[in-house]
Amino acid sequence: MLGELLFKTVIASIGITIFAVIFGLLFKGIDRKLVARMQMRVGPPIRQPFLDVIKLMSKETIVPENAVGWMYNLAPIICLASSIILLLYIPIGNFEPLLGGHGDIILVIYIFLIPALAMVAGGFASGSPFATVGAQREMITMMSYEFPLAVVIIAIVWKLSNIGGDIFSLQFISSHPIWEEVGLLGLIGGIILLLALVIVTPGEVAKIPFDVAEAETEIAHGLLVEYSGRNLALFYIADAVKMFAMASLVVALFFPYNLSDFIKLDEIVAYIADFLFFLFKVFLVMLFSISLVRAGMARLRITQVVSVYWITITLIALFGLVLLMWDNQYSIKWW
Amino acid sequence: MIKTVGGYWDPIIWIIAFIVIFILAYMIRAIGKKEYRKGEQIKPFLSGMEEPSKEAVHIRASNLYWGFVEALKSYYETMKKMHTGIINDYVAWFVGITAIIFIAVFIVGII
Repeated sequence: MLGELLFKTVIASIGITIFAVIFGLLFKGIDRKLVARMQMRVGPPIRQPFLDVIKLMSKETIVPENAVGWMYNLAPIICLASSIILLLYIPIGNFEPLLGGHGDIILVIYIFLIPALAMVAGGFASGSPFATVGAQREMITMMSYEFPLAVVIIAIVWKLSNIGGDIFSLQFISSHPIWEEVGLLGLIGGIILLLALVIVTPGEVAKIPFDVAEAETEIAHGLLVEYSGRNLALFYIADAVKMFAMASLVVALFFPYNLSDFIKLDEIVAYIADFLFFLFKVFLVMLFSISLVRAGMARLRITQVVSVYWITITLIALFGLVLLMWDNQYSIKWW
Repeated sequence: MIKTVGGYWDPIIWIIAFIVIFILAYMIRAIGKKEYRKGEQIKPFLSGMEEPSKEAVHIRASNLYWGFVEALKSYYETMKKMHTGIINDYVAWFVGITAIIFIAVFIVGII
């Protein structure tokens, strides 16, 4: 039994690493192409992120003289490993999370912190003033978006507690879509919570307008300023994987529907169709929460990031939570 | 498996998965070029400026959360004003809050 579990964990880890790297980079390529087209540029080919990684691997991996060597080299590996491990706990298409029975959504929220913390550690270990400022900003951004994110998660879980069961399990959450458990007020509350999560997403993956930690034009890429070669390649892949994982989490929380729920399909065809449909949903989430925002907005100042998340988005998320609570008291059907 | 009222997780499984993926990430890193020239390029990038002394660029702990404190300045200012350092004020706060809790829990609660 234990041997079987160990074998499953090892195989799942290898499989998810290959999957995460390939699809993370592919979606990063799509994002870059889309943003370019939105800004009336031709943009790089979709395979460009793969080429970037190959190029970075062939470049020198410079360790600055001021750097704390072991931490500087360790940070990118931890960042990538913790980004990939996220996908072991998140459902993909019709497939249950590979380690879903061994960790819940609270664990996923905690794991999301590790890549950011690894980047902070790497930034401080770089021994560069730009990187130190970047690391400091990353910490503050992290402190800012965690609060509204927690409110969104707690609101959903609290609503699902009405029906009972393993409410913190992502498997449970995705098999009980919130839209089917709410009345009119809850529907509005759910939409507000979705909006809050869509705004948390670019902060979580450090994209415009919340990319203050890596502000290229201001602090020369911030905490990544000293990174090069294979270390930078690992951060680059980790960024792509984290983006894919975050979009997958949004899908699992708010859009867990599968094609096979609506159309009768053979078992294998259903798995393939649901997987493709899952990729399409991830694409839509990335389009609306990352690409469109990135193409249309400028970078915020660090103080604005804090006030947006701690005041505006937290209040919006709390209002969504209150609506869900009212929904329990005054159940008005919307369907 | 650790289970609480709220949720559950299995640290052993997490650690095993992390070690396997860590090794794979290390293997990906190992594909890359290891060597580098130790010349001018190992100095920190400062847009061509001369590197100041370590003390001059050191960020103190009090500045670490600057953005956070600056954004929530009005809150921190209010809190600072409340923390006068005078024991009489703290006791007054304690008595006041206890009274509010008493009213909320016992009087309003009973009604």
